[in-house]
Amino acid sequence: MRSRKSTSTKRGFLVRKDEGPSLLGLAFSIPPLLLVLIFVGLPILIGLTFSLGFTSGPNRVVSLIGQQIHKKNHWWGTFAAYSDVIHDSRFLGDLGLTLFVTILSTILVILLSLSIALYQRLIGGKKSSLLVTLSIIPLFVPVVISAWAIHTFYGGDGFMRSFFSQFGINFPTLTSTPSAIVIGTVWTSLPFAILMISSGLQGIPDALIESAKDCGASPIRVITNILIPLAKTPIIIATSFTAIGILGSFTIPLFLGPNQPTMLGVEISNFFGSYNRPQQSLVMAFMVFMIASGIAIAYVWSNVKSARESGRI
Amino acid sequence: MKRVSIGRVAINIGILILAFFILGPIVWLAVHAFASDWKYPNLYPSGISFHWWSKVFLDSALATAIRNSLIISPIVVVISMIICLPAAYAAGRLNYPGRKTFMVGIFSANSFPKIGLFAAIATLYYALNLMGTFLGVVIVQLLGTIIYMTWIPAAAFAAVPRNLEEAARDAGASKFRVFRTITLRLAMPGILVAIVMSFLASFDEAQGSYLVGAPSIYTMPTEMYSLVQNYPIQVAAVFSILLAIPSVLLLSLARKHIMGGQLAEGFQLK
Repeated sequence: MRSRKSTSTKRGFLVRKDEGPSLLGLAFSIPPLLLVLIFVGLPILIGLTFSLGFTSGPNRVVSLIGQQIHKKNHWWGTFAAYSDVIHDSRFLGDLGLTLFVTILSTILVILLSLSIALYQRLIGGKKSSLLVTLSIIPLFVPVVISAWAIHTFYGGDGFMRSFFSQFGINFPTLTSTPSAIVIGTVWTSLPFAILMISSGLQGIPDALIESAKDCGASPIRVITNILIPLAKTPIIIATSFTAIGILGSFTIPLFLGPNQPTMLGVEISNFFGSYNRPQQSLVMAFMVFMIASGIAIAYVWSNVKSARESGRI
Repeated sequence: MKRVSIGRVAINIGILILAFFILGPIVWLAVHAFASDWKYPNLYPSGISFHWWSKVFLDSALATAIRNSLIISPIVVVISMIICLPAAYAAGRLNYPGRKTFMVGIFSANSFPKIGLFAAIATLYYALNLMGTFLGVVIVQLLGTIIYMTWIPAAAFAAVPRNLEEAARDAGASKFRVFRTITLRLAMPGILVAIVMSFLASFDEAQGSYLVGAPSIYTMPTEMYSLVQNYPIQVAAVFSILLAIPSVLLLSLARKHIMGGQLAEGFQLK
């Protein structure tokens, strides 16, 4: 039997680790890594060179097909395509809408999930399970369907307008407006956030809450001083996943949003396909990626910090 | 006493609003699948009919899309399991250099905007002759499953108590037997959740499959894009119900584990 060493962490738990680094582990992790490197890393790298004006090699075909292609004029390339995009008034409108929807929807999703999860943790009972179950339902519905269902519900001859017209009220057509995108993204993002946050809150021991109550803490204080700080990591994970998902969303704004301005996910696809301007399309993708990376760094940082605090690393 | 009843009323209203918000659109669309005709602003259809169902099943393009989806998704899940599960085991249990970088790398691959990635992949696909091919669609869908198939099982493997395994070893069980009867069995709920999430990620994937597969290969979600523009709403409703059946079945199977925290546990870096 292989020898094992036992080490104790700050909290005094006994942790056993197989001794020494394992080469088998390294070998096992190669296949998915290779897949990601070839089909995610490589295309992104090639795409980056293309956005900088490198039009030969793997970018030859796409450079021949596309329009308004800028060729590099320095050894490192050119920022001409970036300048195109930044000075395109349509892009600024799209960026504004994308950020607006991402921020508003993320706040709504997190507030809604947090209140449902807190209700479930503090009060519990059948009604809280009903709320959680309801919020999980969108997980069962493919995005294409949810987008289309929401479209028919809030659309010109949808339920909302039909229902209110029975009372002579002219309910606004929400489709093709930013409101419909927000409704759609909140609808589809809710399950993941609820699962993360509610499982984070369920993991907090009753004893902590009870003892705080015994010391005279009000329910608000229990929430702000105990529950939210202790569930900080799952809340941050839920927030960053939700925000990254909404930032790059495509189907929801395609079905529900206005034509102009639209979210960047749709515009990237338009520029690549309909407008045949692949270089500008990739430039937009890199800009969205930079925003998403900022969010991803917050997530990783929070994760590493909590792992360090609990002595796992 | 009065505060309690106000709270109770508030929570009941909250449940009603949430139920309306979540269920309203699905129910409204689903009812259309059985409506012969529906005129605005009526709240009920002019008649009930199964006519649209036969239309879907007799339409060869739609039937092909259904068949493609049912073939591609299982293949994607099996390949994903073969490629990712050993890595998940390694990440959960073994100590090797770059373990954390590996997990973070898999995650950051997920944070690049999907549609931008697919545009970039298209360039590579032209070079590799994968455009419009079955393999091309499989690979695109495979990419979306990797994060589920590595992160969730890794957390499940990490959570298996070592002393159980050691006890079995002490009792004379072989290494393989310990792995099969204890490690794998205890990690099974996590693996199951990963399989379900991967299947759905593949089955529901639309943007990449459309960009890479169309016009030669259509799956159910990519067919939806043209469906909603070219067919009456009732056909889209029937198709939506068909498309939702696998999700509902699979998620109902794994519901206990997903709500029990396997999914949430899987996304916390350990």
